[in-house]
Amino acid sequence: MTLRREFWYLFVGGVANGFLYGMVAVGYTLVYGVLRLINFAHSEIFMSGGFAGYFVMKAMIGSSVPSGFATVYLIVIGIVAGGVVGAIVATLLERVAYRPLRRRNAPKLAYLISAIGSSYFLFNLAGKEFGRYSISVPQPYVNHTVFTIFGAPVQLYYIVILIVGVVMFLGLDRVVATTKLGRGIRAVAQDAETASLMGVNIDRTIAMTFIVGGALGGAAGFLFGLGTGVVFTMGFTPALKAFTAAVLGGIGNLRGAMIGGLLLGVVESLSVVFVQAAYIDVVAFGILVAVLLIRPTGLLGERLGRAA
Amino acid sequence: MKLRLNKTVAMAASGALLLMAVPAIGLASTSGAAVKAKPTYTIGYEGPLSGGNQQLGLNMVFAVQLAINQANATGKLPFKLQLKTYDDQGDPTIAPTQAQAAVHNKNLVALVGPAFSGATAAAEPYYKAAHIATVSPSATRVSLATSGWNNFFRVVADDGVQGPADATYMVKKLGKNSVYVVNDGTSYGQGVASAFATQATSLGATVATATVPGTSQCQNGTASATQYSAAATQVVASGAKGMFYGGYYCDLGLFLGALQSAGYTGAIMSDDGSLSPALISSTTPASAANGVYLTCACASSTNKTFNAKYQALAHFSAANATYAPESYDATNAIINAMKSLKKVTRIGIVNALHKLTWKGMTKVIKFQKNGNISGSAIYVNQVKNGVIVQLGLE
Repeated sequence: MTLRREFWYLFVGGVANGFLYGMVAVGYTLVYGVLRLINFAHSEIFMSGGFAGYFVMKAMIGSSVPSGFATVYLIVIGIVAGGVVGAIVATLLERVAYRPLRRRNAPKLAYLISAIGSSYFLFNLAGKEFGRYSISVPQPYVNHTVFTIFGAPVQLYYIVILIVGVVMFLGLDRVVATTKLGRGIRAVAQDAETASLMGVNIDRTIAMTFIVGGALGGAAGFLFGLGTGVVFTMGFTPALKAFTAAVLGGIGNLRGAMIGGLLLGVVESLSVVFVQAAYIDVVAFGILVAVLLIRPTGLLGERLGRAA
Repeated sequence: MKLRLNKTVAMAASGALLLMAVPAIGLASTSGAAVKAKPTYTIGYEGPLSGGNQQLGLNMVFAVQLAINQANATGKLPFKLQLKTYDDQGDPTIAPTQAQAAVHNKNLVALVGPAFSGATAAAEPYYKAAHIATVSPSATRVSLATSGWNNFFRVVADDGVQGPADATYMVKKLGKNSVYVVNDGTSYGQGVASAFATQATSLGATVATATVPGTSQCQNGTASATQYSAAATQVVASGAKGMFYGGYYCDLGLFLGALQSAGYTGAIMSDDGSLSPALISSTTPASAANGVYLTCACASSTNKTFNAKYQALAHFSAANATYAPESYDATNAIINAMKSLKKVTRIGIVNALHKLTWKGMTKVIKFQKNGNISGSAIYVNQVKNGVIVQLGLE
């Protein structure tokens, strides 16, 4: 593999990872926007989406080898399954772990503990129920090289992520920018009290925020599991990276989360050109610190970043 | 704990003064059982019974249980045996806690395990202090035998044998004159990979090495599973004809998928840590595991009686249960050592094991002075159509 070919291979892989990080980062940033809290149980939304996708794929594929239309159909089903289960888990989290605290005006620290507690509860429950070992997800396609860029193979798996990622990002961006729900989310993010005076139903808006973030996180979990397999701890590292991406882009800023995710994915992937794989995280987090030193609010985090 | 100690002190004071000379913990297990009914002794097992490497632990623990069940069933022993398991998840940070729990179990006289090298290194000082014989079916790090633990035994050849034998097979038999050697950053993976690299270099092959740390996906580190596509690119970019992976099946499974995507077509070989059917079920897609060579100081069991009984107990086949035959031999070695004793004590078993010569199922169990098994062989297996097939001796 020549250097140029290696570069493009890593770049494509990095963009695909970046989209996954971005999809999860959006969940962090949306919740931060409306609640000013980091939903540390988001990793488990990701994980439950992965398992939902696994069970659906297992039931529908079995030992067959799907292709053509069946592949598209199965991927859509998997994304919907991951998204729906992710949204359900997110809603449960909001209801059980956050809303009671919000009603009682609990200090921020209580939210943090409740978030971490829910995370441990959920992934240990998954470990107990589904086994504590990595399981490969039945494939809805035969992964192969679809085309090459400068000799670097581009896999079908990456193309699936790219398409889903772009559709989800554009869709979400439109929803937040143009719909009534989106206006509500932005209003609550800017000033919850005033928004409620203006007739925005805060409880409903927060619940919807969790559902949207959860759906994206769950769908990302399915896509991640498709390439890597599912296991109860699968959410830990990707979600930590996604949180990093959200901070990198400017927490609370939607486009920032997407850009932060892409940037982190590409940077950590390309760092392999210069250093060994063992240094990926060193490079990625070194860059995070460097960016935050120069722009403490993150890349796009101007208005909302200040509130942190 | 305190209360019990007081009791034993009172007993000793009431007449049996000679007991004072026996180490405190050994005393409790022997004097407590000095009644007419057959005494019951506990044989421990320490290994991964949860976590990403759970399957290896399960392979072993059913064999230990089988050996104990069979020994009890004969009715000829002057004692009864029971099993107590200590789950260290293969993790050196958990192993010391588990070892301490085992040491404090006064009825525990000897232990099969610890399963993993890193865990063994961390746990062994506690066992040594309590004079508990540990017979490992699978800990293969060379330095374990040279750490001055006279209670340490293993029924398997060490990495000093496996790594070089693997390199010889890769370079000489498969004819790969350029190899890329990866380790997972664990002490086990590093040990076997560096032994491989040294031997491959001395055989004249071009050798490149890299550490690709274990992932949180496999509960074997904190790295991200996404690193493997990058690592695979490096393997391909190096132009190596063969790759050796020192590590465990779960992370190797992730790596194999990435290697296939990156278009790697050379030979892939790994060690006994990867020798598990779970390698295939954790590889996406499973076909990426085909052709991989997996070597082991252990042999697959071809003993039909053992296989049938093991299957009945474990509900999975002994054929692919890595280290099950060795665990069975390790347990029986302990039982044989116990039989040779008039009075079963922890230190007594240690001494008896040093003298033991007994024909086990896998090989003759006779230990060198440092606890290593005398004489051994490395077997090579290959994944063919999703099934691990034993090819024979290297």
